[in-house]
Amino acid sequence: MSHPLIETKLFLPSPRPGLVPRPRLRERLDRGLAAKLMLVSAPAGFGKSTLLVDWLASAALRPGAGVLKAAWLALDPADNDPSRFWRYVVAALRNAVPDIGEDALALLQDSQPPPVELALTTLLNELAAAEADTVLVLDDYHVIDSPAVHEGMAFLLAHLPARLHLVLATRSDPPLPLSRLRARGDLVEVRAVDLRFTGEEASSYLNGVMGLGLEPDDVHALEGRTEGWIAALQLAALSMTGREDVSGFIAGFTGDDRYVVDYLVEEVLQRLPGNVQDFLLRTSVLDRMSGSLCNAVTGQEGGRAVLEALERDNLFVIPMDDRRVWYRYHHLFADVLRGRLLDEQPGLVPQLHQLAAGWHEEEGDVEEAIGHYLIGTDFARAGELMERVIPALRRDRREATLRGWLESLPTEALRVRPVLSNALAGARMSTGVFDGVEELLDATESSIASVGGRPSSLLFVDEEEYGRLPADIAVHRAGLALVRGDVEQTVTHARRALDLVGDDDPLTRGAALALTGLAAFSTGDLDTAHASYTACIVEFETIDHVSDVLGCSVTVGDIEVVQGRPRAAARTYRSALDLADRHATPVLRGRADMHVGLAARHLEADDLAAARQQLSRSRDLGEPAGLPQDAYRWRVVMAGVREAEGDVDAAVDLLDEAERLYVADFQPLVRPVPAVRARTWARQGHVDLALDWADRARVTLEDPLSFLREFEHVTLARVLLAQQGRRPGSVDVAAVVTFLDRLLRAATHGHRGGSVIEIEVSRALAFQQLGDQGKALAALDAALALAEPEGHARAFVDEGTPMAVLLTAAERRAPSAYVARLRSALAGTGRTAPGPATTGPHPGALVDPLSSRERDVLRLLDTELNGPEIARELVVSLNTVRTHTKNLYMKLGVTSRRAAVLRGKELDLL
Amino acid sequence: MDEPHTDIEPVSDPGWYRIRIQGRLDQRWSTWFDGMSLSQGEDGTTVMRGRVGDQAALHGLIERVRDLGLTLLEVTHEAPDTPAEPRT
Repeated sequence: MSHPLIETKLFLPSPRPGLVPRPRLRERLDRGLAAKLMLVSAPAGFGKSTLLVDWLASAALRPGAGVLKAAWLALDPADNDPSRFWRYVVAALRNAVPDIGEDALALLQDSQPPPVELALTTLLNELAAAEADTVLVLDDYHVIDSPAVHEGMAFLLAHLPARLHLVLATRSDPPLPLSRLRARGDLVEVRAVDLRFTGEEASSYLNGVMGLGLEPDDVHALEGRTEGWIAALQLAALSMTGREDVSGFIAGFTGDDRYVVDYLVEEVLQRLPGNVQDFLLRTSVLDRMSGSLCNAVTGQEGGRAVLEALERDNLFVIPMDDRRVWYRYHHLFADVLRGRLLDEQPGLVPQLHQLAAGWHEEEGDVEEAIGHYLIGTDFARAGELMERVIPALRRDRREATLRGWLESLPTEALRVRPVLSNALAGARMSTGVFDGVEELLDATESSIASVGGRPSSLLFVDEEEYGRLPADIAVHRAGLALVRGDVEQTVTHARRALDLVGDDDPLTRGAALALTGLAAFSTGDLDTAHASYTACIVEFETIDHVSDVLGCSVTVGDIEVVQGRPRAAARTYRSALDLADRHATPVLRGRADMHVGLAARHLEADDLAAARQQLSRSRDLGEPAGLPQDAYRWRVVMAGVREAEGDVDAAVDLLDEAERLYVADFQPLVRPVPAVRARTWARQGHVDLALDWADRARVTLEDPLSFLREFEHVTLARVLLAQQGRRPGSVDVAAVVTFLDRLLRAATHGHRGGSVIEIEVSRALAFQQLGDQGKALAALDAALALAEPEGHARAFVDEGTPMAVLLTAAERRAPSAYVARLRSALAGTGRTAPGPATTGPHPGALVDPLSSRERDVLRLLDTELNGPEIARELVVSLNTVRTHTKNLYMKLGVTSRRAAVLRGKELDLL
Repeated sequence: MDEPHTDIEPVSDPGWYRIRIQGRLDQRWSTWFDGMSLSQGEDGTTVMRGRVGDQAALHGLIERVRDLGLTLLEVTHEAPDTPAEPRT
């Protein structure tokens, strides 16, 4: 995390001494612990935060109640960036429950937009295991207007663990499903009507806490005039303290109908020395202030002493840390002061912000400085600072913040800084906004072009960054074309980017290569796609973008499979895993996908045990280790395993799930799940279900061919041949052969060896149905020739009896070890063979799953190594190995090394 | 802050609004409310009138009413021919 958190946002204020006790509200909040959400919703100055601070402190002391931990977060408008918002939420929770949230933080930085739901899921799982009740308070939630943040909150609320309690303090009701929560009793509310001081409370405050000794009538009059508004009563009390003519003040105040806070602030200010008045007005522009910052803004010394005096005199100054460094004004008080400042010295406001900006800049807090420069309308300075922090913000996936800043710059400020206008185009695209991007890119490009090599009228911070603009713009254009589905333009711009990019910019080069590869892949130009992605992986490796390497490896593997090179695909996955192992980040998205890829290769080679083992490893890594498509891919491969094991129902269920879980991205969908399922139906003789698929998917023998529909087309041929097998004479097999011939030419032409094997197998079966044994065997020979070096098995084994007949004929003609192996695999396919795996427990079945360390130990128990050797291997002490061994014996329910290994194998842990 | 709206609006201008709040808020708050004009009624309410750039600006004004803890009574779209004195 490169950007430091502002600690004052996480500071849980301590309860102020001398509060009016409010047992009725405390009790209501206590009840809220049984609900999902506590909503404290009332205007400024109603004592929302005070109530919560008091309640948390009292709850901690209450006898009998369990420990209640508090996580406090004061929100500000910058938290509308989801990445920043959730990072602070995690930080707040870590104050209450240390050691959680590592994975969530890593995930928030993983990609743009950040995978918030995934990050929250890991966080909530950790919290569900926490032993104490935790209250998460989000103060000032009304500053949030980002739909993305609200959506994340709704998700959080829907998945809230029982021991996490959510409190929102806000001036406006949040756009969450409040009425539903209310109806289910999941919402406890404290609203303005509850927070107003009653007559009794007003009296207890004015006479008890403040010791003003007022008559009941006076108290009543003040309560009536302020309507129990606490901030107003506080201001009134402040105005009366030490005043001779208290009744005169009350008469004047209650007889006036001016805006109550305005009236009272004026009363209070009038009684202060001129320099303090001036201090208050000038510093009112600050959302948080230290003595030194106040000095910068007022041009005076002694800021710290003034702040301390203001706090002593109860002048609405609230400490924001334990050391009395940072303070803020009560929001309502600050707003009224700002209103006065704006009225009296409007010209001063921008100046004050510029002074504050300068101070923050000097302190190294560039983000705060930018905020003040923007309000202070010093756009030149703001722009320059933005340019400096762009790389850091991108690294933190905070494009939303960047976009917000850049969009608040006037057009002219953007025009002279091409790095910024290009960055805005990128920030918009990565936050899902494509409007105006093309115009921005045009403008950026033409401003660079207009100045030629001498950009004297343009400004930039970093010469190299400026030099990279042309290539970067081309990458943005390629991305934009891809979003629009314009493959040709994608390729054109990506190629241009590759021509322009320098050797010193692997990120841009990698992005351009990936875009080229993607475009080529979607048109079926596999050679180009493969070359581009392979080169792209090299670029990303040099800059340690491991997650991107894993993502590209998924695609490279897909391409290699279509090319008919499963062994190469397995190598791709393995080398990506090696790379991942060298980077010890908490979670690395994509690692799980590599195991799924390996599982698919084992499945194809008919090694079901190995396939299962890889699937288990993928699952053990947990959801966060998977890219968005991992969930669906895992199920497709597992479905293949179950079908091969003979459990067709389970396979179909898995495919149904896979279909639901599929998330589209820009990658071409080579094997649509419904077609995969139709093949299963066809193989199992459910011809009508399979034909139903063809209807729905609108696949016919007359279709024009394209790479993207190839899998569906081959599926259609399979379905029709299955139909013919069931109901001889119902299908025009010759037409199917013609169709397969067309497919074969296209696949051969496109160097898609994997497709060629499938098509040749289908042709062999079709010729067999036509009674043309010679052509059938020729087609089979062609398939076998391609398949043998790569160890394909299921492409043949899946075809059952007709294939067994053909293979027998083939072997009789030319004996081969490979064909013999296929035949024996086929002979074994009434397979219920892998006993415990089909019916018995799988890894999830352990009540208490093995930890990853325990699994490491278990694997080494399955070797010749003795105890000390295992300890050395794992770089731990012998005692630690003994502890792990004891624990894993217990979990597996065994008492010996041999039994542990056997049981581990049964459970697919080995 | 936007600059105050000084132009005399065409008849068809859709952006004039009238916001009525409880209590007396004097003219000094005009700048705070983006240059809206404020007039105090006999009934202890204040009416703000003026042109707002768009809906987002209108919501911004209402948010500022909220932030001061003022009670919002009504928001109405002014008929274009309602006399609303141009301000400088």
